[in-house]
Amino acid sequence: MIRTTTLFLAALTLIAVIAPWLAPYEAGDAFRDFLHAPPMRPHLDGLTPVVNPLVLADRLEQRFEPDRSRTVRLPWIERDRATPVFLLGADDFGRDVLSRLLYGARTSIGLSLVATLGAVVIGALAGAWAGYRGGWVEDAIMRTADFVLVLPVIYVVLVLRAVLPLVLAPSTVFVMVTLIFIAVGWPFVAKGVRAIVAVERGREYVQAAQSLGASPLRILAVHLLPACGGHLLVQATLLLPAFILAEATLSFIGLGFPDLVPSWGTMLAAAGNYNSIARFPWTLAPAIAIFAIVLLTNLLAARHTQNRH
Amino acid sequence: MGRYLLTRLVFALLLVFIVSSAAWLLTRVVPGTFVDQECVTLSPKECDDLRKRLGLDRPLWAEYLSWLSHAVRFDFGESLLYSRPVGPLIVERAANTAMLATIALVAATLIGIPLGIYSGTRAGIGRAIVRTLSVIAVSVPPLIGSLALVFLASRTGWFPVGGMSSAGGAEMTWAAWLADVARHLPLPALALAIPMAATLERLQSEAIAASSREPFVAASRARGVARARSILSHAWPVSLRPILGLYGVMIGTLFSGSFIVEVVTSWPGLGRLMWDALKARDLFLVAGCAATGALFLAAGTLIADLLLAYTDPRVRSGERA
Amino acid sequence: MNRQPRALLSVLLIGVIAFVAWRWWSGARPDSPDGGTEIVFSETSTRGGTLTSSLRSEPRTFNRLVARDVPTELFSTFTGSKLVRVNRATQEVEPSIAESWTVSSDNKTWTLKLRDGVTWSDGTPFTSADVLFSFQAIYDPKVESLVASSLMIGGKPMTVTAPDARTVVITLPATAGPGIALLDNLQLFAKHKYEGALKKGTLAREMGVAAPPSEFATLGPFVLKSYTPGQRIIFDRNPRYWKKDAAGIQLPYLDQVILEIVPDQNAEVVRLQAGQIDTLQQHIRLEDIATLRPLEQQGKLRLIELGVSTDPDAFFFNLRSTYWEKDRRRDWITRKEFRRAISHAVDREAFANTVFLGAGVPIWGPVTTGNQKWFSPNIQRYDHSVERARELLAELGLTNRDSDEWLEDAKGTEARFTVLVFRGNSSLERGATVLRDELKKAGVAVDIVPLEQGLVIDRMLKGDFESIFMAFTATSLDPGLNADFWLSSGSAHVWNMRQPKPATDWEKQIDDLMVTVIGNVDQTERYKAFLEIQKIFADNLPVLYFVAPRLYMGVSTRVGGVTPSILRPQLLWNVERMTVQQAR
Repeated sequence: MIRTTTLFLAALTLIAVIAPWLAPYEAGDAFRDFLHAPPMRPHLDGLTPVVNPLVLADRLEQRFEPDRSRTVRLPWIERDRATPVFLLGADDFGRDVLSRLLYGARTSIGLSLVATLGAVVIGALAGAWAGYRGGWVEDAIMRTADFVLVLPVIYVVLVLRAVLPLVLAPSTVFVMVTLIFIAVGWPFVAKGVRAIVAVERGREYVQAAQSLGASPLRILAVHLLPACGGHLLVQATLLLPAFILAEATLSFIGLGFPDLVPSWGTMLAAAGNYNSIARFPWTLAPAIAIFAIVLLTNLLAARHTQNRH
Repeated sequence: MGRYLLTRLVFALLLVFIVSSAAWLLTRVVPGTFVDQECVTLSPKECDDLRKRLGLDRPLWAEYLSWLSHAVRFDFGESLLYSRPVGPLIVERAANTAMLATIALVAATLIGIPLGIYSGTRAGIGRAIVRTLSVIAVSVPPLIGSLALVFLASRTGWFPVGGMSSAGGAEMTWAAWLADVARHLPLPALALAIPMAATLERLQSEAIAASSREPFVAASRARGVARARSILSHAWPVSLRPILGLYGVMIGTLFSGSFIVEVVTSWPGLGRLMWDALKARDLFLVAGCAATGALFLAAGTLIADLLLAYTDPRVRSGERA
Repeated sequence: MNRQPRALLSVLLIGVIAFVAWRWWSGARPDSPDGGTEIVFSETSTRGGTLTSSLRSEPRTFNRLVARDVPTELFSTFTGSKLVRVNRATQEVEPSIAESWTVSSDNKTWTLKLRDGVTWSDGTPFTSADVLFSFQAIYDPKVESLVASSLMIGGKPMTVTAPDARTVVITLPATAGPGIALLDNLQLFAKHKYEGALKKGTLAREMGVAAPPSEFATLGPFVLKSYTPGQRIIFDRNPRYWKKDAAGIQLPYLDQVILEIVPDQNAEVVRLQAGQIDTLQQHIRLEDIATLRPLEQQGKLRLIELGVSTDPDAFFFNLRSTYWEKDRRRDWITRKEFRRAISHAVDREAFANTVFLGAGVPIWGPVTTGNQKWFSPNIQRYDHSVERARELLAELGLTNRDSDEWLEDAKGTEARFTVLVFRGNSSLERGATVLRDELKKAGVAVDIVPLEQGLVIDRMLKGDFESIFMAFTATSLDPGLNADFWLSSGSAHVWNMRQPKPATDWEKQIDDLMVTVIGNVDQTERYKAFLEIQKIFADNLPVLYFVAPRLYMGVSTRVGGVTPSILRPQLLWNVERMTVQQAR
């Protein structure tokens, strides 16, 4: 379980890091004659995969027809600006959806990874402290956690984000949204950690360490937190897709990143109106990506519960 | 038991108070109020008058106190956006959200529980299919689900896209209106219900599998009770306990989920109203929405707590789960 | 547990579902024309029926004196009548409540004869006293009416007298170029209803949205029946309306008009598609044309091309020198060479293709070919040339002095500015994006700030902005009636409003020429002066224009009596003559 989860998280990180090298075009590359061009289906010409280039048939109606007399090689092999290749279609500015999906993964996954890390660290510290100290400290921390847990997350995020200035530099948005996510995410981690620490605290090895004069900090760091490793990892796998989804939701309603920044949310925001959904469903590609990640996490979580039984 | 109930009640009231106050305060301290927009067409003097009339010229705390004293009487002031009292506006929209949420919850229950009982007690290909479908369905959050359903609707025309009722039906009879709403309801309700139904199915399946292994179920079988009957009348009631606990969690989820579903499908609910209010910085309306939302939420968690207390004696006696 | 086979099965099942879905998606196509009920469009007038249209925003008030937003404007179109009105389709003045008029030889006195037998919707007769009262209300300083300035000449009010109940004499302080068309701006108010409020100084608060419908006394084809916030406004026919058609049938033909409130542009189109509304309030977005074409082929909807828009989206900098005083960019950002460079840098064809899907014409000034009467073909054009743009920028001292892609001035300040746009308006948001992309090629950085419409206008009025890309709604095609845009003292002189005296020589020149446009009754003189104004304008570029889109209206084929206009409200301006085919 731990291995697959780590592998999964590592794979996502890898995609986020190497996105620019995987993407055939730049995220902002707009091909003005290919607004809403449909996905092109590659086929084999001998051994090289090729596609038929698209020709604009009607600009106002955004209709395209494949030119069957010609073939173009894939953009990783050969890049010609006159005949761009859109494997997942083009968006409303004629930008390659595949490239934006990859660049968007960088933003969305990157943000979610940082937020997850933050929530896990803060949640672990708060939970461990509560479990170790007990008494009013525990009460205060756990009541706060309960309170945050019961709030409908999206409303909280909405109000918090709405009170910030509407216009922020993308980097500021990144920091702000991350902080908001950490604020709503930590209790999930803290609750489990508190329970584990509260149990472990009573164990003999901890009492032995205490009687040997180890500082509480050392006991927490060396003895108690490692016991929570599995729990932390599971929580991280659950928080990550939730944050990815939250970013998408925020940007979807216009409170996340500005349109300039490719993220899954900003892509969905442009694609999420009735007209676009009906006519250009390929622009919903980020929705499929989010679904895939959530599905994978759920499969991992299911495996985890199975192993425990 | 009494003490437990009291603490939960206090917690619920605290929730309503903190959420609505926070929402009010936050929208208030932010620059760019509704009046700034209104002043576009007014002279500076008129603008000052308007501020005075709306009480925006007083210090923050005085304004807050006056808001609070009215709020306890469910008088949330006048919406600046719609130029009428906030109360009736919210009631109408909240009713729409409540209808959507209730239908979704009922649908999720009707789909999830029977499937859970089935997959928890049977083996074979049927169970595998149910389980696979539910793992997929649980991975369709409302945002994705509503987008997918809108796509489906626009391709097939199975249900109308957007809104709660058809336009132009100003003078519809009750029955016609109800039929019209019933046609618009499935899309947003399904988007909300799908992941919930799957969650219920997973939990019910596990719970009933566990309770089927209990000795008393085996005993009832040994007494010659038919298999189906023994499951439904002996194993199932026992397995309900964790599921009732889940309903408490789901109410919070419902509210979060219904917001985005309302935005995607133009459902005229509380979430959309609050979103409009936030955009216009209509602070009385925002605070009113937040208070109402918190009230719903508090009531929901309270009911879930009661159910849990009713079914789980440990909670009643004040033990920590 | 038999985990392996189950995992395999799961993967298999997902695969099957995905395959089926893909086959279905590639096979499924939007529904073909069905052989259902065929609706034949008929021009013959039929009485009765309900027309349903939509409205994007809630009315704040029904009082036209204090609001000029779309809902209020529409309310006064439906429930009001004017002394004379400008036919929105022909731009000609036509008699309305005033059945005839004479103009004195010095062009300063108009004598209007009122129609006999006109009554308010509550049965009270309409007389010249109501006209006097309306002028009084509009000019009353306590009301601070928005209409007042449009009925003044050179800042001075008209003098109105009423020799008898059916005659009104209006004396102007000076001659008016647009002539009696000025009276199209006059709203009429019922003296017997609002006299008390005017005296008390509370007229501005009358006619609110919460007022009961029976409170209104109106002169128009319709009366307010009900307003449900967030839902709809319903109008019933006014049985006392004075206008009759050629056959002597009393107008309006319709029994009822419903305005559904649909705040979302996309939802609005869905409803038009579903036949739930008969027509939108404004033109159709070009990206929706393809969605609606199939309906046109099925004979359910008519798409009417209105021609080239007369209100093109406008881009302008804040040219108020005080705003830039402490800014490091002050040396170049308000210079006309900077704006010329921008005009050169923008590829108007790409702009038209991206923002208007090819359905637009490049423009270099505020008057488009849609306004043939005032259009000037001979103004300075700035051809697309990134090199020329870079040359002009270099002359301002803006060159690339470091490793990034942006230009800097000698002090190292980057060539960068912010532009405000209306949030949720697709042509403006997309236009701003194209502007950003085009200027990037010339090395100038643009930060786009989408804001709610009201906030943008607020910033504009306060002069608190660097630049704005926005849409104006001109009320008339006659520049003499849009003087507040051209005059340096005007309230819509957007780049530097309400100047006590003209800040620049060229603004002074325009002010001087506007005297002719506003006051001269000789139409050729007015035209010549306005050509000169357009030339000066194009030379200094206080406002930049890129592309004017073609406008389309969508209207259900069940609607008849449609006379489209390029100005808003494109169809409903003539609502009293519209008809609907009723369900059989």
